[in-house]
Amino acid sequence: MLSGAFRERTLAAWVEIRENLARSILQTLGVTLGVASVLGGFSISDSQRRHSDDAWAKRGGFDKLNVQPSAAIKDGTTPSALQNANLGLRRDDASDGERLGAKVVDAVSVEKFARLRVRSPFGDQERQITGIAADYLPLNGYEIERGRAFSAEDISKATAVCVLGAEASSVFFPGGDAVGQVIRVGDIPVTVVGVLKEKIFHWRESEGNVFAWRNRIVALPAPLVARRMQGDAYHRVDRVVFKIPNMDVMQDFTKGLTSALKTSHRLQEDFRIDDIAARVRKRRSQGEVYNIIFMLAGIVSLIGGGMVNVNIQLATLKERVREVGVKMAIGASGREVFKEFMTEAMLLSGLGAVLGFAVGVAFSKIITAVLEIPLYMDPKSFLWAFLLAGLFGFVFALYPAFKASRQSPMEALRYE
Amino acid sequence: MNIIETHGLTKTFGNNGVAVHALRGIDLTVARGEFVALVGPSGSGKSTLMAILGCLDSPTEGRYLLDGEPVEGLSGPALARIRNEKVGFVFQNYNLLPKASIARNVELPLLYAGVPRRQRRQRALELLERVGIPEKANVLPAVLSGGQRQRVAIARALANNPAILLADEPTGALDSKTGAEVLELFQELHGHGNTVILVTHDAHNASLAERQVELYDGVIRNTEAA
Repeated sequence: MLSGAFRERTLAAWVEIRENLARSILQTLGVTLGVASVLGGFSISDSQRRHSDDAWAKRGGFDKLNVQPSAAIKDGTTPSALQNANLGLRRDDASDGERLGAKVVDAVSVEKFARLRVRSPFGDQERQITGIAADYLPLNGYEIERGRAFSAEDISKATAVCVLGAEASSVFFPGGDAVGQVIRVGDIPVTVVGVLKEKIFHWRESEGNVFAWRNRIVALPAPLVARRMQGDAYHRVDRVVFKIPNMDVMQDFTKGLTSALKTSHRLQEDFRIDDIAARVRKRRSQGEVYNIIFMLAGIVSLIGGGMVNVNIQLATLKERVREVGVKMAIGASGREVFKEFMTEAMLLSGLGAVLGFAVGVAFSKIITAVLEIPLYMDPKSFLWAFLLAGLFGFVFALYPAFKASRQSPMEALRYE
Repeated sequence: MNIIETHGLTKTFGNNGVAVHALRGIDLTVARGEFVALVGPSGSGKSTLMAILGCLDSPTEGRYLLDGEPVEGLSGPALARIRNEKVGFVFQNYNLLPKASIARNVELPLLYAGVPRRQRRQRALELLERVGIPEKANVLPAVLSGGQRQRVAIARALANNPAILLADEPTGALDSKTGAEVLELFQELHGHGNTVILVTHDAHNASLAERQVELYDGVIRNTEAA
């Protein structure tokens, strides 16, 4: 930096690059492609991941453990009396699980399904009815648009109330506000206390709303469905979901839950535990493979470009032997010559990287436009691409610069 | 006091097979402020001696004191420093950097010496004034005539106030009129107290020097005052 030597070197390098434009472009090509490949690859996979995260956020997150009843009796075997006496998944299982994981479970939801006729002055359809309890709505990413959600009392007392999804609301009350109106579910009149916000998500912009079916929900308190619509005094449920934000304890909790439930189910495994997070992570790790592939592609083109650079630099070194000789004659040390060559190479790498950013951004824009997903570019991807370009630019510049700096000034001056 | 003192300088090229003895025991002294012409036919060792005197090359054997400082056997960076500070080269084919402006060419030795930018520019302009082409500071060497280019090269050689000016056939690529002007400039510099060593095989040019040193087959055959 002393006496602006760095500035002078950079300036001289810039002149050299500008004077040999065609050669310089060739030299930056490898870096440009490498940076574009790393940046584009990262951006596309980031965009995709961000998009899928978005979908999961709208579904209430993926840090969930699903418990569902399953057949304990294998096909072709006669069930034992014990197996016949089994009741399957019950409401108590949810509270057992919550007690077991008091420290790790953030929320619990209980679902009880039924299929019943739903009638209003405007519509009469057979519908899937979802009996819900506890934190079902937030756990599934539902938000109240008008009215209210169920109170704890609604659930415990099995009050005849319901909450409608956006689609259900517009089918049964196309005219307007459904809140306060009465619908008949099966034979029971229930009052609509809330309407849910419409849930919308498109995998691709031109494709339909993948959450459309979620807007069809007709939610009632689970005990209401079990007791008054199905006459089940055992509080059997169709699904229990535990929200566990800390992924590390998921496995331990799963083990504990399995053995606790087995104990209370007469040692029958008549349920199935499904770790959503593990499934998502597995899919994610497959996504990581693409990241690595893109990174490798970038590195390969950086190496290729680097070798082209070494070649060109060595070839031009022949043209520049005399220049090096003159500089040495007037007092440039080998170190100075080395620095000059390195500066030029690093400047080229930098320019190549900037060009690569442009190409990479364009590339990502095109691909995400084709995939019809929103583009998301992480600043870290730029940093990575730049660092890789810098690293390879540096490593491949070393040899030619070293060679230039080791020339004898006498020989260099005589060189024709 | 002598600015150059050599004792038994030898230079041998090629270590196995055929050895070429370019210099075979040179004892030469040049006093401060002297104007010496180094003459001799081609192959006599002029260029080799000049390279060693200019610290571009090291002797195989012998001692060389430049400005009272022994320089034989010094490392590369140390020699680069001496070339930068104590030696000013003027070549037959100017050897200017074609892509740098005249001022930048002249500034280059100052840059290597670590002189700050402002001072560099100022000194370069002074030097261009001194060699008679102050108005050409911002042009590229390609637009200058041969004589002007050689003046730039001289300005560059003078940049760090060197102990010796080494000119290798400085008029070789110039027509006789411009050549004479360039030689006049050297004489003028000599008049201002600069030590000039002129390598030439032109007898007329050599006659302008105070003293001629004639090299033949790697030894000094004759040294005579003009």
